[in-house]
Amino acid sequence: MAVDLGKMSDLLIAGKVEDVSNMVQEAIDDGMDSSEILQGGLIAGMDVVGQRFKACEMYIPEVLRSAKAMSAGMIKLRPLLIESGAKTAGTFVIGTVKGDLHDIGKNLVAMMFEGAGFNVVNLGIDLDTQVFVDAVKEHKPELLGMSALLTTTMPRMGEVINALKEAGIRDQVKIMVGGAPVTDEYAKEIGADIYGANAASSVDKGREALGD
Amino acid sequence: MKSVMPDMQPMNQTVQETPQFRVLTEDQIEQIYFAALDVLERIGSRVHHDEALKLFRSSGDAVVSEDKRVRVPASLVERALKSYPRKITLKGRNGKRSVALQKDHVYFGTGSDLPFTYDRKTGERRRTTYKDVVDAGRIVDYLDQYDFFMSHGIVGDAPNPQTYDRHQFMAMLEGCTKPMVVTSVDGEGLEDLWKMACVLQGGEEEFRLNPMFVAYIEPISPLTNDVTAVEKLLFAAEKGIPAMYTPCPSSGATAPATIAGMLVQSLAETLLAIVLCHLKKPGMPLIMGGVTTVMDMRTTTYSYGAPELSLASAANTDISKWLKLIMFSTGGCSDSKCLDEQAAIESTISNLTAFLSGANLVHDVGYIDSGVNASLESLVMNNEIIGMVRQVGKGVKTDEEHLALKVIDEVGPGGEFVTHDHTYEHWREWFLPKLMDRSDWETWNNEGAKSMSERIDEETQRILDTHEPLPIDDAAKKELKAIIDAAEKRHS
Ligand code: B12
Repeated sequence: MAVDLGKMSDLLIAGKVEDVSNMVQEAIDDGMDSSEILQGGLIAGMDVVGQRFKACEMYIPEVLRSAKAMSAGMIKLRPLLIESGAKTAGTFVIGTVKGDLHDIGKNLVAMMFEGAGFNVVNLGIDLDTQVFVDAVKEHKPELLGMSALLTTTMPRMGEVINALKEAGIRDQVKIMVGGAPVTDEYAKEIGADIYGANAASSVDKGREALGD
Repeated sequence: MKSVMPDMQPMNQTVQETPQFRVLTEDQIEQIYFAALDVLERIGSRVHHDEALKLFRSSGDAVVSEDKRVRVPASLVERALKSYPRKITLKGRNGKRSVALQKDHVYFGTGSDLPFTYDRKTGERRRTTYKDVVDAGRIVDYLDQYDFFMSHGIVGDAPNPQTYDRHQFMAMLEGCTKPMVVTSVDGEGLEDLWKMACVLQGGEEEFRLNPMFVAYIEPISPLTNDVTAVEKLLFAAEKGIPAMYTPCPSSGATAPATIAGMLVQSLAETLLAIVLCHLKKPGMPLIMGGVTTVMDMRTTTYSYGAPELSLASAANTDISKWLKLIMFSTGGCSDSKCLDEQAAIESTISNLTAFLSGANLVHDVGYIDSGVNASLESLVMNNEIIGMVRQVGKGVKTDEEHLALKVIDEVGPGGEFVTHDHTYEHWREWFLPKLMDRSDWETWNNEGAKSMSERIDEETQRILDTHEPLPIDDAAKKELKAIIDAAEKRHS
């Protein structure tokens, strides 16, 4: 019997991490097409989660549980998707700039992107400019995120952008910035592509910028 | 009996007939305390500071692991706890020892470092500047319900992020003569602020007896202590500068989603500092703190308006009293983006709860937009709220004079009290509104039909137009400037 993708979506919406992971494996073993599993099972589920979040029917802890289920499924699917040349959401590298120890906002953004099917590399906090440059070279992400919660550290984001320019890799990646003192205007000023005010809206903006 | 000064009105006293308010029973406090001790013995707290690690290692009691986790046996914590002062009196540059931090004495003040200022006229926000900090200082200096000043805004136009704290302190001193709570960039920054304060207090020794400020220092929840925070703490210990180590956990994000769990964790964070400062220099004036709130699960906002903030803070104050520590708490703040009904509601609830709980320093009054926007108007509004709150806190006196049996007898059935001597003597014990309007419809209309909001704007403007704080004399100003210039030079 073919794996029921509707049920997979429901389990994902209900945040059943292990069940989703097992079901993805079953589907793969069954020979189902990886893109079909992704679209019909995981993404269909996350779309509902997104709608319910906007309608105040689901809240952050529930959304993150579903995101975890999504990411558990993606661990199994990603190699197959890449092999088959199917389009995946891409890689998202994120970190908090030098001198800044604020962590949790950046982590929430990272988790939400995982939930959207991205391969997320979370570099941590208090990061030197070079760490961002090296990470862009190493992971070749579609999207780079930087977080700064202090007016005193936010200029570091501009420094990273300049360093990426100097390294000749600025144009390989879309750059997204966020944090309490950051504004849309400031993001433009330092040459970032996207300003993200919160985790949920950032995912929408990120996808949009990548042409999804 | 004449009424006592509002800022000298202790809470939770049985002798003085104030309302009785507590959140936790003694058994509950003990459960939380023992759990926190367990956290320090089993889980520990990470410390990113070499001297501190050395102090823990050489204590012979604490255990430091490879990953910089420090675990501390209960016996050492309990020894350390005994060494802290139960009273610290702050003296402003106005020469008044006006803030006597001791059990159940409640003082109100602002918060610090707000990156934006909300402009009511345009409805827009802009980056906060030096002048904004001076202006906030002048408002706090003028208004009677404020006892201490934190910068409210951040001096966004300072030349260098590494030295902005010196400029910020200068702006605070220019605007306000009351005692302060100061934030600093690092240990070196705190040292400069302390030197500046010593200029005004008459030297290092006088500062020790009459400290002008408390240094604001925070760990990183959960259970992490970064290098600059520890650096400040150790410097404060060395010099006997009053300091607080105030965890800012958000329940459900950087702390357990249950209030008790959040209290256990933040108490463990506090106790680690208690031990560290004790090892550095027993008896330093350390203050317990905590901005204990929830992360809003819809917006991810660190909430300054949640009722859980008030409840958890009051519980934390109960714990502080049981530990015989002075408490730094939170009130008068809001998640609202502007100064509106939401701001008024949230400010009122947290001010009232903090006051009734008997927290010693209630800060963040005037914060809007969850600690991001500054608002001078919010400071003016909160002054009125705090006045009302303090009035509730006065409680009901029931001595012979106040039971007024004699007066009831004299007036008798069908008489009036307005002209009685007893009324003449006692009515001034009541709260006298400054901004609340109690007039009739006709009068209110004739006077321009002004809303509370408009009255707040006018009062704010009036204070800004008229209030000039006691100036700093030129010689002292020169010395202060020299300290700032030296810092600029070092960091250029
Ligand atoms: C909690 C907190 C802390 C904690 C952080 C603990 C931790 N584990 O992260 C501690 C106690 C360590 C801390 C320390 C300090 N803090 Co602090 N802190 C806060 C506070 C109250 C809440 C931050 C928070 O957790 N919010 C909840 C999370 C979930 O939201 P968020 O971080 O904003 O992230 C969301 C969005 O911004 C966005 N986002 C964030 N990053 C990114 C990145 C990308 C790419 C995208 C797309 C989106 C995005 O999405 C996130 C999720 O929705 C803020 C006030 C505020 N409202 O921001 C002050 C605040 C940021 N801190 C401030 C200050 C002053 C400090 C200190 C300097 C205090 C001091 N003098 O010691 C130190 C600095 C330490 C350092 N070197 O970094 C000021 C900043 C002022 C300024 N200079 O601009 C603020 C505004 C408060 C204030 N008015 O004083 N702080």
